[in-house]
Amino acid sequence: MTTNRRWSSGIFSTEDWWAVWIGLTIFAASLVSLAGVDLVGWMARPRAWEWTDVAGALAWSKFFAPAGAEYAGWHALASFFTTYAVFTALFAFGARFMGLDVRRFVLGFTALFLVTWAAWVAGNELHLTMVDATVNGRNRYRDAGLSWGLQLGEGAPYLLALIAGLAIGNFAKGFAARLAEAARPEWYIKTAIVFLGVNLGSQTMEASGFAVELIITGAAATFVAYLFFWPIVYALARRAFGFKRDVAAVLASGISVCGVSAAIATAGAIRAKPIVPVTVSMIVVIFAMIELIVLPGLYTAVAPDQPIVNGAALGMTVKTDGADAAAGALLDELMIARNLQLTGQEWQEGWILSASLLTKIWIDVFIGVWAFVLAIVWIRKVEKRDGAVSVGPMEIWFRFPKFVLGYFVAWLVFFGIAAAWPALVPALDEGTAVVQSPMRTMLFMMTFVAMGTTTDFSKLKGMGKIALLYGLALVIVIAPIAYAVAWLFHRGITPPLVAP
Amino acid sequence: MTAVKLVLEFERERWRARGDGVDVAHRELRGLEALIEASVAGERHVEVELAFDMASLPRWLHQYHAHYCNYTLHVPPRGVRA
Repeated sequence: MTTNRRWSSGIFSTEDWWAVWIGLTIFAASLVSLAGVDLVGWMARPRAWEWTDVAGALAWSKFFAPAGAEYAGWHALASFFTTYAVFTALFAFGARFMGLDVRRFVLGFTALFLVTWAAWVAGNELHLTMVDATVNGRNRYRDAGLSWGLQLGEGAPYLLALIAGLAIGNFAKGFAARLAEAARPEWYIKTAIVFLGVNLGSQTMEASGFAVELIITGAAATFVAYLFFWPIVYALARRAFGFKRDVAAVLASGISVCGVSAAIATAGAIRAKPIVPVTVSMIVVIFAMIELIVLPGLYTAVAPDQPIVNGAALGMTVKTDGADAAAGALLDELMIARNLQLTGQEWQEGWILSASLLTKIWIDVFIGVWAFVLAIVWIRKVEKRDGAVSVGPMEIWFRFPKFVLGYFVAWLVFFGIAAAWPALVPALDEGTAVVQSPMRTMLFMMTFVAMGTTTDFSKLKGMGKIALLYGLALVIVIAPIAYAVAWLFHRGITPPLVAP
Repeated sequence: MTAVKLVLEFERERWRARGDGVDVAHRELRGLEALIEASVAGERHVEVELAFDMASLPRWLHQYHAHYCNYTLHVPPRGVRA
């Protein structure tokens, strides 16, 4: 039985909280670098490679190596297996507390880990990643002697992970079912988002005005989601499609606010039968995947000079945290590569992703308040049962996305240390860089694979009316308004350039 | 005023509330609430705190949102009921 009666309910039994515990544990380990001890440098990091070079003399160290300088003497495989052992142990520990079948979880996690790493290593082949551009007088594409290349930048591994996951989810359904216990994209992405708090901390140090602007405009986007999208989609569902009030409300939240989370929160608030959010959630997950596949490439092609507009628009358009963060990461890499191609200038990584994510996080944060207000409106105006039924303000806390606490704790701790003791910044950067780059990226990659394995497009069959509403709302309401609002706030803003 | 704490579940197309000596089920929530009222109503006002059991939702959904709904049903004393 899993009920929420106390403020601490679920603190050791939900993915949301375990994203905080795992994320902050690793972040805390990285902070030991302040004392001169590297506790996270064992993490394996893929290396760029070129197939003719590898075919000539195969060696594991050509594919990956330890991320920390203190671990440079380690064999590549020792680094890889340590990475596997540490992350498997941490997530299995969480799975045990959540009451999952630990054996099935570890087997599934192992398979996801291996698929992730296969895609990550393969995606670092130079013909996929290297961009033909001259930066500071140097063209690494020419230096590498490449005659052709897809020039996808660091987006290549993400695309391969997504393809691998979708192939399993749609063409190897038996295998996908075996992975189900560990295929938890929201858990992996929420842990990665806690790591991203460090990124926001370092961005705040580097360009505080820009970071604060991202935070404020992200908050403004929240009003767009709740005050524009929701009523329009609700009216569309009621008047054009004839859905009942409860179904229309759950659909409006799922389609226009923050996906599955909003659908469940809204359904709970209006006390709809659980079958309603379950059905809506199934379609939200599939459409979120379609948005993830289409939008990053589309925005990169249509507006390659509007990185922050594209990122923020993505944050308002793509539903579910996993799909939004994954789409933001993919957009970040594709935009950087495209801009490099077009201008020879290299934007810093992470700013476009932050624009996407901060917008989404604000929307997430207010879902509890929204559901609380909706519950009161429903009782008083729709059911007209004021006095017979009531809901308490603790509902807001129960619905608050707890991983956001981890994100802000990581941000404030990083920023606090850097601001109070500037001399410690190099040591701080050294330890947390590993959390940022290979660790966070690996969890993003696992999210791509896990999302793919849980997305079965055949489930769209029989959902014609709901799917049509979703598609229409997305194309004629949400995507255009989101883009217009993002344009209003962010047009012409670009990330800082990588230092020469 | 008396407080009763019940667990709210949804199973096999019906709502069910149980705890504190109550165990009732109905296809509709309003019907369930009427059964609860009949079970707990007495001389004093009763506040029935219903906490939804998340186990009623598929496990894969929990990663997205770990709460459905809690609410309080206010049951007036027998003589005061409409």
